[in-house]
Amino acid sequence: MAMDALTPTRTAADDIPASRRQQKRGDIRPRDLRAEGEPWTWVLGGALALGIVMILGLLVLVFWNGALTFWPRPIEVVTLADGSRIAGEPTRTQAFRPEPQVLEALPPERRAEIEANDGFAARTLYRTGNYDLYGDDFRWVPDFERRFVERPREMVLLERLEWGVFVGRILAFTRAGERTEVTNPRQAALLEAHAAARARWAQIRRIERGDIGVVNHHLEAERLRLRGVLLRDPPPEERARAEERFAREEARLKAEYEALAAEAQRLRAENARDTIILQEIGGREVTLPLSAVVRMVVANDMTLGQKAGVYLSRWWEFLSDEPREANTEGGIMPAIFGTFAMTLLMVIAVAPFGVVTALYLREYARQGRVIAFVRISVNNLAGVPSIVYGVFGLGFFAYIVGASIDQLFFPEKLPNPTFGTGGLLWASLTLALLTVPVVIVATEEALAAVPRSMREGSLACGASKWQTIRNIVLPRALPGIMTGLILAMARGAGEVAPLMLVGVVKLAPELPIDGFFPFIHLERSFMHLGFHIYDVGFQSRNSEAGKPMVFVTTLLLLLLIFLMNIGAIVIRNRLKRKFQGSQF
Amino acid sequence: MSASATAGPRRQNRITRRSVLVIDRIANWTITVGGLLVIFAVGAIMVFLASVVVPLFTGGRVESVRQYQVTGLPAEVAMATADEYRTIGLVIGRDGAVQGWHLQTGTPLEVPHFDLGGVRATAFARTINRSNLAFGFENGTVRFGAVTLPATTLSEEAVPAGARRLDERDATDGRAVYSRIPGNHIRRVEVQARLDPPQQIAPPGTAIIAMDYRRGGTAERPTLSFVTADANNVLRLSRAESRMNIMTRQMRTTVSSSELPPLPPGTEIKTLLLTEQADMVLVGTADGTVFRYDTRDFNAPRLAETTRVVPAGERLTGLYFLIGEQSLVAAGDRGTMSIYFRLGGGSGTADGLHLVRAHEMERQPSATAAVAASQRGKMFLTADVAGNVWLRHSTSNQVLLRLAKDGGATAYAGIALTPRDDGILAVTPEGRVTLWNVSVPHPETTLGTIFGRVWYEGYDGPRWTWQSSAGTDQFEPKLSLVPLIFGTVKATVYALLFAIPVALLAALYTSEFLHGSIRAVVKPAMEMMASLPSVVLGFIAALILAPLVEDVVPAVIFGLVLLPLSFIAAAHLWQLLPRPVLLRLAGLSKLALIFLCLFGALWLAGVLGKPFERIVFGGDIKAWLKGDIAGAVGFTAFLLFPASALVVALLGQRALGDLLDAMAGHGSRLRVAAAALLRWVFLTAAAVALAVGVAMVLTGAGFDPRGGVVGTYVQRNTLVVGFAMGFAVIPIIYTIAEDALNSVPEHLRSASLACGATAWQTATRIILPTAASGVFAAVMIGMGRAVGETMIVVMAAGNTPILEWNIFNGLRALSANIAVELPEAVRDGTLYRMLFLAALTLFVMTFIVNTLAEVIRLRFRRRAAAL
Repeated sequence: MAMDALTPTRTAADDIPASRRQQKRGDIRPRDLRAEGEPWTWVLGGALALGIVMILGLLVLVFWNGALTFWPRPIEVVTLADGSRIAGEPTRTQAFRPEPQVLEALPPERRAEIEANDGFAARTLYRTGNYDLYGDDFRWVPDFERRFVERPREMVLLERLEWGVFVGRILAFTRAGERTEVTNPRQAALLEAHAAARARWAQIRRIERGDIGVVNHHLEAERLRLRGVLLRDPPPEERARAEERFAREEARLKAEYEALAAEAQRLRAENARDTIILQEIGGREVTLPLSAVVRMVVANDMTLGQKAGVYLSRWWEFLSDEPREANTEGGIMPAIFGTFAMTLLMVIAVAPFGVVTALYLREYARQGRVIAFVRISVNNLAGVPSIVYGVFGLGFFAYIVGASIDQLFFPEKLPNPTFGTGGLLWASLTLALLTVPVVIVATEEALAAVPRSMREGSLACGASKWQTIRNIVLPRALPGIMTGLILAMARGAGEVAPLMLVGVVKLAPELPIDGFFPFIHLERSFMHLGFHIYDVGFQSRNSEAGKPMVFVTTLLLLLLIFLMNIGAIVIRNRLKRKFQGSQF
Repeated sequence: MSASATAGPRRQNRITRRSVLVIDRIANWTITVGGLLVIFAVGAIMVFLASVVVPLFTGGRVESVRQYQVTGLPAEVAMATADEYRTIGLVIGRDGAVQGWHLQTGTPLEVPHFDLGGVRATAFARTINRSNLAFGFENGTVRFGAVTLPATTLSEEAVPAGARRLDERDATDGRAVYSRIPGNHIRRVEVQARLDPPQQIAPPGTAIIAMDYRRGGTAERPTLSFVTADANNVLRLSRAESRMNIMTRQMRTTVSSSELPPLPPGTEIKTLLLTEQADMVLVGTADGTVFRYDTRDFNAPRLAETTRVVPAGERLTGLYFLIGEQSLVAAGDRGTMSIYFRLGGGSGTADGLHLVRAHEMERQPSATAAVAASQRGKMFLTADVAGNVWLRHSTSNQVLLRLAKDGGATAYAGIALTPRDDGILAVTPEGRVTLWNVSVPHPETTLGTIFGRVWYEGYDGPRWTWQSSAGTDQFEPKLSLVPLIFGTVKATVYALLFAIPVALLAALYTSEFLHGSIRAVVKPAMEMMASLPSVVLGFIAALILAPLVEDVVPAVIFGLVLLPLSFIAAAHLWQLLPRPVLLRLAGLSKLALIFLCLFGALWLAGVLGKPFERIVFGGDIKAWLKGDIAGAVGFTAFLLFPASALVVALLGQRALGDLLDAMAGHGSRLRVAAAALLRWVFLTAAAVALAVGVAMVLTGAGFDPRGGVVGTYVQRNTLVVGFAMGFAVIPIIYTIAEDALNSVPEHLRSASLACGATAWQTATRIILPTAASGVFAAVMIGMGRAVGETMIVVMAAGNTPILEWNIFNGLRALSANIAVELPEAVRDGTLYRMLFLAALTLFVMTFIVNTLAEVIRLRFRRRAAAL
């Protein structure tokens, strides 16, 4: 912008007063740096930098915490100033201000240290586990109370089915009643016994969940059939027949159940004879059945490869297993499954309606003020809060439509509602309603981007309107439509507020898809990743225990949404390139 | 299809196949119907929400009226009552006679009566549920009794043969009524009465003229409290404890009495009232004065207060409690109807409490004869001597139903509101009975109670409150939308205060100053950020940020001002560099330097947080906010700093600008830049000084920001919510604003640059004004998103429905409230409909904001296309 000094020629500049002309060569004009607005430019840039740093910081925070959650940490045994010992995983450190009474009780050097530090001391949070013994899984240990810290090699972190983790050492194990002392936590015999116990446990679960589940399902179906017959107030012979059939089926199913239950009982008895005897750092002994131990991690004695193995196996458990311990441990497979099922149903519901409406608005409706108003309204609906849709979904879909469906088709189950309460179907429909404006807007823009010349060319060749749309317009609009659908999918997968009202639960007893007709049960409640984050973070017994789980779930949800967004961009670019050349 | 006759080998078939036409027509029809259906469905949402909300305001409705004659009514009616299923109606006379009949048809029934042994009853009292009664006699004795209407469910076969059918639901055997209920069951309702032996209270021969009676204790050990006034105007408070002797299976009652301080001579006692805890006795006299006795100490009661409850010149016709015994209804003979609360803060009374008139209700057309309170809520019936029966609600101060007796004006002998508030029973002395079956589903909501201040029981004044549930049964839900709307507005305001500057400034930088290749990365990245689920943001805000911010609040506050200042300082330093270096480093390196500067500023804010806290907040910000540490000069100066900086900058521009330019405007670029730096330092110092000066003046005049914009610190507060909502809103505003700024035609930019303007001048004077409406639309859409944000507010805002602008306090927004309360609201109850109203309010708010933005955006597009 600035120009170097000009060679002096007679110009209008000569009319400028002499004082201002007294400038040496090489001076740079203009003098007024304010015109360049450098300070303000830096403020603008700073705002952008702040925005980017915020978002990157969030992502890094989530990624860091989420990725590191499952990495096995060492177990430290801390001897405190009063001689007692605690054992646990160090989770995080924090600066804090000790209470005056605590400060009084300290030796003078420590107090001076804290004073020098403005009254702040450091403390570490240890995951001591053993909730059944201590009443708490975490414990803060201030630095001034620590005498020394060691990492004994035989300390073990045991993940169990109940009561969270156990931190301590393994004393012995029994197999079929025979006790064997344990010197090395990696003893082959112990590992073999553990594997056998877990296999038996898996078999028990298969029998109970699978086979007995089938029997129960049939029993319930028979009961409902009888109830349905009785509700219709039938003549006595029909009633007698129905009751006799029920009695017969019930007897048969009960016999099956007895057999299966006996088998399960036998396996249980076998399992009960395999136990593991543990000792926590304070000396107390705990006996657990070996099958209740999910994983044994010898925290202080692992090579990098072994740690990676534990890390990957924990990830696999997270993705494929069911939750335990009120959702703070175990896996989130039902939530992943529920999220996918709901998103899929939502897209199936929204795609035809969104595309059809956009087609109507753009191709078939007479363009005028009414349609312009409709278009504005549809745009606005994209901005309506999601909770309003949830309210509508609950009030209309669940309580009115669902209750009518219950009256008509499922009277024998009343007063327990089938469709008259939240479930997979209503949640998907609610979210479809939520995302329909997004799809309509995206499809309309895509349809508008198809040049008129192509349409006119097609019509000139003799095609009908529908043929034009189907063969010329829609394929060319496809990138935009796909983008719209994927964006709608990404938005729907992340919305939690409406789901809280229409069908998501903390713990779903069964998946919405199983082996019984009609295979997809649209009335069942389901679990959802986003709601899982809310639930584990805020409705757990101990939010400290839940935090790692929430981070990993957040990481998974973010990965999912980013994948969908990137997929949208890739598809858009690829299809754009495909049709780019053929425009005229 | 017939092929056309071909004349040559190359002739084409020009006739369209019918199938094509048919498919075309089907497609036409399907698409039209489908499109219209979806548009209609989307509009139906609002209609549905409105349809759920409307019943809140419909008041009361009479469903049917039954009138019949009942013979043999007692001469002096003491009480009328009915059972909760509206099957049996009863009238009890002062002489102990009980008359019962089938409520819907008037068929008389045989019911037990009270045998008073020939003694004349001079006083009568009952508990609010009309089951327990007491008679006071002319010989100074009292007798307690009970009349109950128990309902039992039986199977179909239990109906005795020969039962007479009354209507399609009920049958009777002359004594009990059998109603058919769904599920092939029968409900039997019958009347049971019990009378206890007499207790001597007043000296024998003195009649009891008024009494009140309450039951408490347990079923095995009932305690009765009652207060009596005898013919000598002596008031006695008595307690009767009954104990069952296990050996003899006899109830043994011990009665203890204590005398209340005497009334002034010549007082005509009209009503006596006692509370359930027996801690207060109210004596209403005929001339309108009320004497309130504090009887918390049973053995030493004292007169606490004397006050008038009806205007001078009017006489009191009755004093009644509403359920919960917090509201006192005072009725006068000119139709005055007032509600009094017993509140603290009374000066001049012996126990520090006083009766305050809370509601003045619409006047009854004539002198009020009787008042009947609801057993469930704050509704009550008032009947006057002209025969008007009005159904009122005390808290919402409205008259729900006005029922008049047809055929002449007579006072009613007894009125009652059925236990489920679904029927109104009125009995005339001649035995004419009128039953109105009414439906009043939502008596407590009016537009006034939802949006205005309401004086609830126990509060010392009208307030906006949202409190939908509490621990006791007698709790009255307080449903005002104002705290929730305020919460939404507060969250939006603070979120936008943070988000708008960051987003708009970043958008301006991206579209004007950022290199193209970086822009191609930054823009899609920000767009992806817009799809971040808000549940993630809420979780981070509540579980990570809130505890973090709590530890470093002063640093955060200081950083708000330090950040812009440090950028400006760095820019001034940057200008000192020689020009060739500047040109080489422009672009990516400058952006990198800006990042460095940001980190440096953040670090500096962290380091300077402690000294800042010491200077401004006296060393401990939490204590300072609570008010424990005095001295508001520092913080007021801090708040005024942006304004004073603006003032100083303007003055510096105009008044001093030319002077400073003349002094420093010559010489090399280095000199000019150094002079600019010095000038900036000087101006900033002047701004600080000005802010401190004005702050001292204001603080001297009594201004204190605490209690207004700042106050007591809560961990989950609006600062955290604003920051988290910034995450959600910034990408949206940024994307749309950036689009708007970018769509300004290139030739405008080129022309400006060609005229010699710098990039900065172009950006501020050409681009920004042209794109102004697009930018404004971006802000509106961001605002719409902030208003509707649910998860962040649920998780990070503390969920306290308070009306304070304090940024360190929590809030409860409409959206969060719906999400938290709707799953547990009873379908079609008042709370359910109120939550739908909240959703409707939210819908309307965002609809208006978005429509405005859309209209402005369209206008901008048209205008930009014209350029």
